[in-house]
Amino acid sequence: MKKLALFAAVAIAASGALAQDVPTLLKAADKYRMSSDNMQVETQISVFNTDGSPDKERRYTVFAQQKHQSLVLMQSPAEKGQKVLMLGDDFWLLMPGSQRPLRITPMQKLLGDASTGDIATMSWAEDYSGTVVGEDRCGEPEQACVHLSLSAARKGVTYQRIELWLGKAKHEPVKADLYVQSDKLAKQARFVMDKAAAPTAVTAMLLRDQLTNKKETQVRYLARKEHTVPEAWLNPMFLARNPALE
Amino acid sequence: MKLAAFVIAMAIAAACQAAPEFGGQVRPQWIDNQTNRAGPLAQAVALQPGIAALPASGATIETELRASAHGLSFVGTLQQQRLEGDRLRSDAWVNELYGSAEAAGWQFSAGRKIVGWDVGYGFRPNDMVEQETRRTLLSVTPEGRPLLMAEHFDASTAWSFVLVNPNKSRGQFGAEEPALAARVYRRDGAIDWHGFARYGAHTGASVGAALAWVASDAVELHASVRALTRADTLASDSAGSSALLRANPWQNASVSHPLQALVGATWTNAAQLSVLAEAWWDGSALSDAQWDDWAVRNRGLAALLGSPAPTPAIAGNLAWQASAFSASTNLRRANLFARLSWQHDKWQPAVDLLYTPADRGRIVTGSVGWQGDRVRVDAGLRVYGGPSDALLAQLPTRRIGFVAATWSF
Repeated sequence: MKKLALFAAVAIAASGALAQDVPTLLKAADKYRMSSDNMQVETQISVFNTDGSPDKERRYTVFAQQKHQSLVLMQSPAEKGQKVLMLGDDFWLLMPGSQRPLRITPMQKLLGDASTGDIATMSWAEDYSGTVVGEDRCGEPEQACVHLSLSAARKGVTYQRIELWLGKAKHEPVKADLYVQSDKLAKQARFVMDKAAAPTAVTAMLLRDQLTNKKETQVRYLARKEHTVPEAWLNPMFLARNPALE
Repeated sequence: MKLAAFVIAMAIAAACQAAPEFGGQVRPQWIDNQTNRAGPLAQAVALQPGIAALPASGATIETELRASAHGLSFVGTLQQQRLEGDRLRSDAWVNELYGSAEAAGWQFSAGRKIVGWDVGYGFRPNDMVEQETRRTLLSVTPEGRPLLMAEHFDASTAWSFVLVNPNKSRGQFGAEEPALAARVYRRDGAIDWHGFARYGAHTGASVGAALAWVASDAVELHASVRALTRADTLASDSAGSSALLRANPWQNASVSHPLQALVGATWTNAAQLSVLAEAWWDGSALSDAQWDDWAVRNRGLAALLGSPAPTPAIAGNLAWQASAFSASTNLRRANLFARLSWQHDKWQPAVDLLYTPADRGRIVTGSVGWQGDRVRVDAGLRVYGGPSDALLAQLPTRRIGFVAATWSF
């Protein structure tokens, strides 16, 4: 009986210690995509059919700013001039013809093979809390990983639950299972690092759709630089300003 | 041709500047217009063929060019059009050409620019500057208005002051009227608040307000209201009479103290199925009594057939009765609108209905769009109908089919 009580006490203490580590682990993982609080990231989305043939390609300029603020500028010919502004749980869309910023619901956010959340959200530490499930083997080549189970800490995030695996040694993101509000598995993500042995940045995120079409989406980060946008750029009505945005 | 050369020269000039943004699209389209056999214009043409132009089918190619650099923005359109029974016609226009600059925390713009305000889809009472045509078959870039604009932005508030059409005469009507307009915007969590004011050269003052509220993950609610001192319209001085006239009785007029209001909601689910519903009141539209008089005069003119009255005069007077259709942006004061759309991968099917309860008139539009990397294809059908005495059933057009391909570069 004493042994059982001792085991339980150790287990509770250990899980508490691990839980305390989660914010630190997430902050470390975030650094591989967001090396600064305020970034400008050039992103390319390539969608592939189940047979591997290319389906579509899109380019975005993302201004990911602190306090859950992101401005996404569509750069592909088919979408040129469209802009999406995300301020926490609030969203606006500008279509190029009208020059009229439009308030949209979270459901109306750019959905599809890569949602706005996939493109514009590059940090977990501010949006999720969770626990360390344990240690695991993951990745290609296989390595020791830490398995985290994360729950959304605010309502505006695209995924309500994330099962995340980080490299045990350097805490780089390796893979993730992304669950929507109904707790259905929506996408599975794999992260491609710049240098496998000594990773410094995520160069691509590979998303496989598990809900509908099983297509694979490659989110490539073409360029990153620190960039704090002026306060006015994050005013929804400023979306109609052109060409003031760089 | 001079305008076309100017458009091209401006595009090239803007594109040649350092690090310009350059793009555009080419859109061939075919519009199939089926003319109405009912209504005053149809009656007029049946009596006297050729007395008025009816909507024609035909092919159009529009090339839109966009360029911007160093605070200058340009959007221009070249159009080649061949309608049935007509020769090939070319046209060109400038949608936008303006300069922007920042000074003392204010943003300034001058030139021809699109400035879109308000929160509705089917009707925008407070679209005080652009006054954009709503519910078009295809998404088109409107022609901006000549204006001078000053704006100030902070994190959650925006002020806009616009002097629109400063180069036009005071007597210009509708969206061409010189006016001073202002908007204040305030973001308050899930609600966007808008306040509007406008002073037109001859319509005087008007004030408005609007809000858009994201009530849940799936639901957005919006509302807009505007009170005007006067609004431009058309009115007939021969209401209810069947007397033959020598001039069009429908002349420019104004309606006093009209109110315009709209309420609407959108619902979108995770599968990207979306429903939009709106209801609006446009007090600047002709009243039911005016339309009743209009119908009485139509019947009276038609009854003159067989009398000694000359047929061309009857036809001409009937054709003038169609002027009433352009008295306001809405035919009837009360309107209901619903739209169901779905975004599924590259496909976007949609169906919508505009309904006028006063006479049970309706416009039903079905469309489907396909979006590729550079090419977009749209096709659809719009049908005007309702009981035979409904206004929408008496418009010159009965049915429009369209197909368009847009190549973006």
